[in-house]
Amino acid sequence: MDKEELINRYFENSLTPEELSELEQLYSSNKEFAEQFDFEKELKLSLKKEERQELKSLFSELSDENPLSTKESKTIKMRPWLMAASVALLVGISSWLVIFNNGSRNHDELYQDYFAPYENVVHPIERGQQLEDLRTQAFIAYENQDYEKALMLFKELHDKSNDTYLNFYEAISLMKLEKHEEAADLFSNYISTNGELKDRAQWYLALCYLRLNETAKSKLLLKELITKGGFKAKTAKKLIAELE
Amino acid sequence: MNTKVLMSDKQLIKQLKNRDRNALKEVYNDYRREFFKFANRYETDQSTLEDIFQDALIALYENAQNGKLDTIKSSLKTYLFSIGKFMLFKKFRDSKEINVDDDYVFDQREKSVMQEILEDEGPNDRQKWLVANFKKLGEKCRRILELFYLQGLKIEEIMAVQGYENKNVVKSQKSRCLKSLKDLIQRKDG
Repeated sequence: MDKEELINRYFENSLTPEELSELEQLYSSNKEFAEQFDFEKELKLSLKKEERQELKSLFSELSDENPLSTKESKTIKMRPWLMAASVALLVGISSWLVIFNNGSRNHDELYQDYFAPYENVVHPIERGQQLEDLRTQAFIAYENQDYEKALMLFKELHDKSNDTYLNFYEAISLMKLEKHEEAADLFSNYISTNGELKDRAQWYLALCYLRLNETAKSKLLLKELITKGGFKAKTAKKLIAELE
Repeated sequence: MNTKVLMSDKQLIKQLKNRDRNALKEVYNDYRREFFKFANRYETDQSTLEDIFQDALIALYENAQNGKLDTIKSSLKTYLFSIGKFMLFKKFRDSKEINVDDDYVFDQREKSVMQEILEDEGPNDRQKWLVANFKKLGEKCRRILELFYLQGLKIEEIMAVQGYENKNVVKSQKSRCLKSLKDLIQRKDG
């Protein structure tokens, strides 16, 4: 059997025991063969790992959207005056935390842990189109993690299109390029237009503020996400706990 | 536990084999609550349970692609929950494996997939780099390589699915694509 066939059949899981030992023999005696084999194995593993991560972020979105209502979510009936008092107490405590607590864990570390660029959900890319319009080019660059190029293209689109979600993706590109102040402005703008990705934008704006060491603002946004109980509510809870 | 294979199970398995994410979402939503209830006996930390549930779904997905569910006699739910149980035991009581009547008996390949998923800590830099370059390949190349490495189709099956003339065309196309990928990587490496 030729070498290529041997490798293919290995991945097809259809080698006989004799063929498998032939492969092992070649692997230890033929450097070129060994390299080719390792390359394909590494490619397979990399693609699998990438896909697993994608699936996990998909699941996490689902779990954020449908929190399991266990004991915590039982409604507590409170008298109005008690409610007012507890709100006042909460505000008191949180502002105390904001003012006096500068965080035990480094904000940059937290930022690195929590920040991952949002996937392209607005402009699915059919690759191999002959004509790629500006928008497609921008999102291709974005998906390929070429944020410099993506940013340039989003900016160009900015003047030509009214689609506000472009601001959202432009802002994420800015975050990737460590331009958090500009990103924060764009997110704020986007949020004020009530765009479809508003929750998402609030999450990323919170991360921008975290990076800019404006912890109070960051927490305010995180709390809003928790109250809404939708996108990233659980993660926001976790992050806020680490901030405090 | 319900052991009958439901019609909808068959449909879902078929979709999972085709890497249909919506089918996976459906399984997630259908069984999450029940899984937590079931797994609470073994572990009560909610975020650990969420991790295990997610890993179990990924194992279900990959084993479906490996053809392990093609002739399955039990329900999708039994299979999924057995994966979950296997993972819980692996994680917390490595030495002991308890088998209960209604548990599914996994073969070696299924076990190694589950083990690999449990131990997966995400791609390293080199692997990320490989994937980033993979994404730069043309549609045709990405398709053929994904069918082969991710979906586990045989060269012959790819020929049929993608309408190639014969096996040799698929083989040489595949090796051309691998060559382009290597070129992309080397160009930036050096």
